[in-house]
Formats: sequence, C-alpha cells, structure tokens
Amino acid sequence: MSEPRANGPELSVEVWRGRAEGRFQTYRVPLRPSQTVLDVVTYVQRRIDPTLSYRFACRVGMCGSCAMMVNGAPRWTCRTHVARVAKDRRLRLAPLRNLPVIKDLAADMTPFFDKWREAEARFLPSSPRAAATARIPPADPERAAADAAIECIGCGVCHAACDVVAWQPDYLGPAALNRAWTLVNDARDADRRAHLAAVAGDAGCHACHSHQSCATFCPKGLNPTASIAGLKRASALALLAGRL
Amino acid sequence: MAAAIERLATDVLILGSGGAGLFAALHAHKAAPALDITVAVKGLLGKCGCTRMVQGGYNVALSPEDSVERHFMDTIQGGSWLNHQELAWILVVGAVERVLELENEIGCFFDRNPDGTIHQKAFAGQSFDRTVHKGDLTGIEIIGRLAEQVWARRIGRLEEHRAVALVPAADRSGIAGVLMIDMRSGAFRLIQAKAVLLATGGGPTMYRYHTPSGEKTCDGMAMALRLGLGLRDMEMVQFHPTGLLAGPETRMTGTVLEEGLRGAGGYLLGGDRERFMHRYDSRGERATRDIVSRAMFEEMRRGNVTPNGGLYVQMGHLGPETVRRLFKGMVDRCADCGFDLAGGLVEVVPTAHYMMGGVIFAADTSTAVPGLFAAGEDTGGVHGANRLGGNGVANSTVFGGIAGDVMAPWVAREGRIRDPDETVIDETIERCLVPFRRPAGDANALRDRLAELMWEEVGISRTAAGIRRALARLDGLAEELGRTGVAEAERAFNLTWHDWLNLESLILVSRAIATAALARENSRGAHYREDFPQPGDLATSAYTVVSLRDGRIEVEAQPVAFTRVRPGETLVAGAGVPRAAAAS
Repeated sequence: MSEPRANGPELSVEVWRGRAEGRFQTYRVPLRPSQTVLDVVTYVQRRIDPTLSYRFACRVGMCGSCAMMVNGAPRWTCRTHVARVAKDRRLRLAPLRNLPVIKDLAADMTPFFDKWREAEARFLPSSPRAAATARIPPADPERAAADAAIECIGCGVCHAACDVVAWQPDYLGPAALNRAWTLVNDARDADRRAHLAAVAGDAGCHACHSHQSCATFCPKGLNPTASIAGLKRASALALLAGRL
Repeated sequence: MAAAIERLATDVLILGSGGAGLFAALHAHKAAPALDITVAVKGLLGKCGCTRMVQGGYNVALSPEDSVERHFMDTIQGGSWLNHQELAWILVVGAVERVLELENEIGCFFDRNPDGTIHQKAFAGQSFDRTVHKGDLTGIEIIGRLAEQVWARRIGRLEEHRAVALVPAADRSGIAGVLMIDMRSGAFRLIQAKAVLLATGGGPTMYRYHTPSGEKTCDGMAMALRLGLGLRDMEMVQFHPTGLLAGPETRMTGTVLEEGLRGAGGYLLGGDRERFMHRYDSRGERATRDIVSRAMFEEMRRGNVTPNGGLYVQMGHLGPETVRRLFKGMVDRCADCGFDLAGGLVEVVPTAHYMMGGVIFAADTSTAVPGLFAAGEDTGGVHGANRLGGNGVANSTVFGGIAGDVMAPWVAREGRIRDPDETVIDETIERCLVPFRRPAGDANALRDRLAELMWEEVGISRTAAGIRRALARLDGLAEELGRTGVAEAERAFNLTWHDWLNLESLILVSRAIATAALARENSRGAHYREDFPQPGDLATSAYTVVSLRDGRIEVEAQPVAFTRVRPGETLVAGAGVPRAAAAS
C-alpha cells in the first residue's frame, strides 16, 4: 500500500468500523478539488485500510446503492462533494440509519425493499400485453401528480431520515408510500383502490407526522411528505364514500 | 472428495438483475409459476448493472410510418454488416412486444406527446425518431418497475453474491450450477441448477476512462471463456465521446455526459480553447460517436489538452438558461461535482462504454452447453461492429424475456440437477484464494497499469505493434497479479479481495479483446486499425471468435451469413440503396 502523502491539506475522516457494535476510526485523507464522499471512502480502502467495507455501483446518482450518514445526515455519497459537507475539514461517516449494519459502512437494505412489497407498491396491469398504450396527455392532472413523484432511485435516504421509521418499525415509510401515490394516480392501473387500501392501515400513510425530513434530504428533490398527504386525503375520502 | 462448502439447489438460476435477468425471472415465473427461480447478483437486485443507467431510451418501431425493416436496416448498417442477422431481426421485432409489455404489464410510464400517445425521440444513426424514453432517466423507470414486480413474486434472490465459475456436469453433459462467493460472509456457495442464465452484463472497465457501474468487470465473459465457450466480436468496444474528466482518484471520472450535448450544438475545444472537430469531419461535433472519439483521441495525442489531459465541452454559447432547461440532469450532476456545464467549460474525455462482443448464443438464447442460456451484454452478434444508442436496453430486455420463455419449458422437458465437476469447484476455490496466500500487495496499482495499457494500445486507435506489446504486457500483468496478495483480515465484505478477483476477470477478457483486435486487419464500426484503415470487402465479411484453450486465447474467423439482406441491398421498400446510417 502506498502511504498517503503528508503534505497538502487533509481531511480528518471518522469512519464507523464494525457491525451493530463497533467504533469510529479516524483516517487522514488528502483534500482534492474534485472529491466526493465516495472518493474519500475509496481512498481509505485503497490507500490506507484495505479492510474497509462500503457499497456503491453506478457512481452517478442513478442506482441508489451508496447512501450513508455523513456528519449525521443521510446522503448519496457519489454526488456529495466534500466541500459542501466537510465542516472544518472533518467528516464523520456511518452506515445508513434505521437499517441493520452488514459491516462498516454497508447497511442491509432488505427491510427497506420489503416495505415495497408490504405496501403492494407495484403496478397492476389492466391491458393485455400487446394493447396500444393508454392515451394520457402529459398535462393530465393525475399524470402530473404521478410524474412529480416518479423519479425515486430507492436510495433509502428518506427511510434513514424519517423519525417515524425509527419509532415504528412496521411503518411502510416514505419511499414505498411515495410509490403507492404514483400508482393511485395511474389511470392504467387495474386496482387503484387496492393500492389505497394497502396503505390506509395503522402502518400506512396515517402514521406519517409530516416532519418533512424525507423531503428535506431526498437527493432527487422529491417530496414524499406531499405524496403521503395525498394518500391521507384520498383514503379519507374513499372511507367516507364507503369505498375502502 | 467434494469440497466442504454449502450447496443449494434451484430450478432456474439467473445471474444478473439488469434488463435481461429481471425479464427472464418474470417470464419464467409466468410460464411456470411452480418453478423455483433464483436471481443471483453481484450488488443489490435492480441496483447494480447498466440497464439502470440508460439515459437515452429504447429503440422501437411503433409508428405507422416507421417499420421493423427500417429499424433492422439501421441496426445492420450501424453494425457494419457484421451482425448475426437473425438475432438482429429478433431484436427489432421483439422490441415492439417488449416495449408494450413494459408499459402495459410492468408499469413503466413512458413520456407522452401532447395528445397522450407515446413520445419517440431522435437518436443518432437512425432513419426515424423511434426512441421511447422517460425523461433522461429511462433505465431507472425500467429497472425500478421490473424490480418491484420481482419483489412481489415468489422469486428467490441472492444479493451480493459473486459468481466465480460456471460449473459443468461431471460427465460434461451440460451445466451443473454456479460457484459463488457470498460477499457478505465471504463463504463459497455452490448453487446447483437445472438451467442457468448468464446475464451479468459486459462493461469495458479495463480502460482508463469507462462509463459502466463500478462492480462491472466482465466476470460473465471470463467465466464463459473458462468454461470453453466461444466469444465473438470481442474487438468491438464502443467509446462514448464525452466522459466527465474530473481528475485522478475520483470515481466521477469517465461517467457519461449525454450524447445530446453535441447534438444540441455543444462545442468540443482543445486545451488551446479552439474547436477542432471540423478538421476531422464536416459534421463537426455532430459526427458519430466513433469518429468524434477518434478525433478527440488524436487531439489528445498531439498534446492539445486541458490541465487533466483531456478536452473541453462548452455549452454556454447556447445560453446558460437554455442549457439548464434542456439538460437539467447533466447540469445538476456537474454542479454537484463542482463544474458549471451551463456556462463554463467542463473537461471531457472519450470513455469506454459498451462491448458489442460476447458469448455466441442462438436465437432461443441457448449456448453450446446444454442448460446454459445467455442474454444481454454478455452475448455477441446482435449489434455487430457497433451498437446504436437505444438498442442496448432493447437487446437485454428482448432476449432476457425470451430466455425466461425458453428456460421454463426446457426445465420441464430436459432439466435435471447434474452432478457437478468437483475438479472445477476445487480449482476455482484454489484460484480465488491465491491472494490470501501471497504477501499483501497493491492490486489497485496493477489495475491502473492495465487501464493505461488498454487505453494506449488496444483502445480507440490500434496498430499491430501496439496490440502485440499489449498482449505481452497482459501476460506479465497476469503473472504479477498471481504474486500479489490481499491481507487476510476477514473475508466478509472484503472489497479488496473482490478488487483482486475483478482484476483477474478484466485481464483475461482484455487478452480476448486484444487477440481479436490483432486478428481483424481492417477497420469496422468501433474497431479502428491505423495500419488497416479500410473496412475491407463487405460481401466477404467475417467475424472473430476467441476461445480459451489450455490457458491460451485462440482466435478464428467465421464468415457472416447474410440470411436476410446482403451488402448493397435493403429491406426497406422503395428506399433503393439505403443511406449510410452511422452507428452511435
């Protein structure tokens, strides 16, 4: 291993090592003009400590694999420039909150994906495979509502930011509920009422306290709180109308 | 004696969770819901791999004015007549069914025209605007929806499982299963299966600048070579002209800045801040990917470079507000990394993007080994010498779906769990553990040297002398890797061990690329030989086939069968001789 250069400005990086039990270990990493948090972690693994574990894939904010806690906040690390988050040239990196730790900075995202299934957050087809595609103008209000919430990359940042997820483990969480909202607004879906019913229970949309942490931290600029508010309204109306 | 490792059994084992793997799982499940199907993937299901990273979209002839024949001809001309024409035909016909399935069954909500019909945009090298998309993040829409459908079904998943060997039956009657490393625990695990789909993708990450996802290291092609399968068209590596150049030691370097920047009127500038493309092609920056990449490489070789050794892309003359509106995703991404794409100069460099070559497979996705099927970027023949932008995701999803349709009845008819060749298991485990038996070294320094070597000698512009130098040095790198160890702390989630294994796959597949590149003494599609700059006679076109025999890469030439159309002809009614569509 080549030793890090001692001259030039450096970052002091505290990194979680271990699993549920562990400790922070401090590394000194050279500061560079073009440097993301993922680059810092990579430097540590390649140049200082080859035993460090973390996860990434696409490098460009499309896969949602690399999120972790950066100075206490959940962030996608491949697109978080060090200059934006390092206070006094210090970083403190930990695995994503509200998920089990596999090792070091790699969290087990399985419980997060399981929420999708529990929320029945998947499209239910209404047309045969070879049918012409549904004619839905982009200006259609439902399409616009679906579009506003559609570009989720499943990075888990909202799940880590959410206090309700922390308090109530069976809560479906902002990401799965946000997806449910796109389906409730999807004229092509075969059973929109079923999507609503799946998220109307105690662990669903009504558990949200509207703290807005999901919207604050979503790296894609989505607003799951607004989607969940939409679900609350729609499920209340459906209940009053006896349709739920 | 059989190695003491955990052994699991499944009916259908799918390696990879891109467009090919997920479609195969859904189709096999639909065809036979009682089948035990397992998707094993090097990262997380639906999150790693390249289909997810598709920005452009999906080529499909949907419009009444378009036709599958036109799409086919664009694909064949883009591929410089090297395509397997039956596979290319299945691609263009299958794309129609698959894109409707994505929209109607899987739930993708593609962008619409103002009247509510599906929007199709223009993409380079095509005679019709036929690219279906969801903004500039089409791959996320496709893979996100597919993953949701897979999660909802009884389909097993083995995440962060790395395949290290396709294990044949002891009696060599077919495939027995796949030896894997459970990356989370570091343990070896044999997954025995009646049918196996190789859908790990390609990803030319052996080049200094490359676009694919970080975990992509040609493991599928390396395993196929070790199993004895032939790989065709391996010299065909596509370079994208505008990779971000953010300097050394950042994973941002090499990632794609989209094609549309040049199409919209963006300029490429040398280190002297002058445009140069018009000196190479009358279309300037709007020339095709291969021509622009070569011109950029030449300019860099002349030393007309930026501080980081690349070139600049300039968009600001179009008006920063316009650029921000047209390319929001790209502007945001550059801004996150500290670059002003809308108003300033951003350093770029050509970047290795896609491998047209791969495992030889049949129209029903079967391979030469019974029970082993293949689809997606692991395979060769569909694209010929170059791939059209928008045909990559069509390839993986069309053939992945076919694989699922075919494997389900195949398992019912012929499938059985075969006794594995224990020698292959033992030898693979031994090979994977080599680094723990050597003094700890720096495999990443070797990877940098590989990347440099492939970039300089087997990259955008090639010569016989350079390729020969590369082949000699690749052998040297393989030997050095064999002496380079990894400190054995613990095997669980040991990325440095996997870096070593990644490098092993990359060196082997680099040897295949170099061998094929030396054999092709002409210039076609993505393959450019300075010493043989002409395309050669189209009517007698041949494709290369490489295979691994006793540790050596061997190459042979096979004639292209023009089963549907011959050079000079077209299938497009009334078009006469089709205009030369350029690959992109």
